[in-house]
Amino acid sequence: MKDIMRVKCLLSADVEALINQQIKKEAHSSAIYLSMASWCNRNGYDFSGDYFFKQAEEERVHQLKFFKYVLDMGGNAISPEITNVKAEYNSFREVFEEALDQEISVTQSIKNIAARCYKEQDFVTIEFLNWFFKEQREEEYKARRALELFDVIGEEGTGRWQIDKHVGQITYDSEA
Amino acid sequence: MQNLTIRTTVDFNEVFSTKHGAIYQSDAENCWYIDFAGKLARFDYRNILKLKKAVYQIDIEDLLLNSVKGPDLEILFICACDHCYVLSLIQIVALKELLQGTFVMLELNHIIQDRLCRLIG
Repeated sequence: MKDIMRVKCLLSADVEALINQQIKKEAHSSAIYLSMASWCNRNGYDFSGDYFFKQAEEERVHQLKFFKYVLDMGGNAISPEITNVKAEYNSFREVFEEALDQEISVTQSIKNIAARCYKEQDFVTIEFLNWFFKEQREEEYKARRALELFDVIGEEGTGRWQIDKHVGQITYDSEA
Repeated sequence: MQNLTIRTTVDFNEVFSTKHGAIYQSDAENCWYIDFAGKLARFDYRNILKLKKAVYQIDIEDLLLNSVKGPDLEILFICACDHCYVLSLIQIVALKELLQGTFVMLELNHIIQDRLCRLIG
């Protein structure tokens, strides 16, 4: 008997469901960054606002990468519904704390997909996920560095203005 | 199961059957035929997955426990598919059992293909 399921789609139902969950997560992440950009802009932290606009775009790109992968492999990619996007923050620092939390949660969730792929010996998807792991290294570094600025520069006096100025300059250029 | 005769000349493989119905695979047409609730319906790859999702989504426990006064009927309408099912609760349980068995058998077939047929001897 023909193995029609495999002929039609490379992904197992479980991996497909996990990637669809990830698509939702990336979309949610993008929406949260946009909300953070709005908050920063409203409160006079324009450089940080721009930084979060860029992050929002990046998350959207990640979402589409997952989306197209599912389709290319013969699966069903689901355009997610996004709710629960926080609009207000208590402080400038809180925004960055939540940004780091967001990135950590994305990394963990991709690790979870990879764990499932190893179990199923889905090496094709693992190879696809490797790009994201490298990307997450950069994302977590940037988020952690931004938060570090609060400790290094300090929030007193013109501290927050300095922090805002330096957030846009954070880069990660490790070739490792 | 109803008295539907399947012509043996047609390339059909029984994937799974219960006393309430059966699912056959046609290798020539790349599709499945579901013999259930008094009809034989053809489902292609997309549609059988949609049917699976629709059936699995029904909260059987809730239907059993809620005390809403209404007929115990569920209408399964699959988008872009010619067939629709109007099923009682008992039939839903039976169809779910049939589909679960089928997908386990398809998974088993996948493993067999991997281990035996896709090997170069």
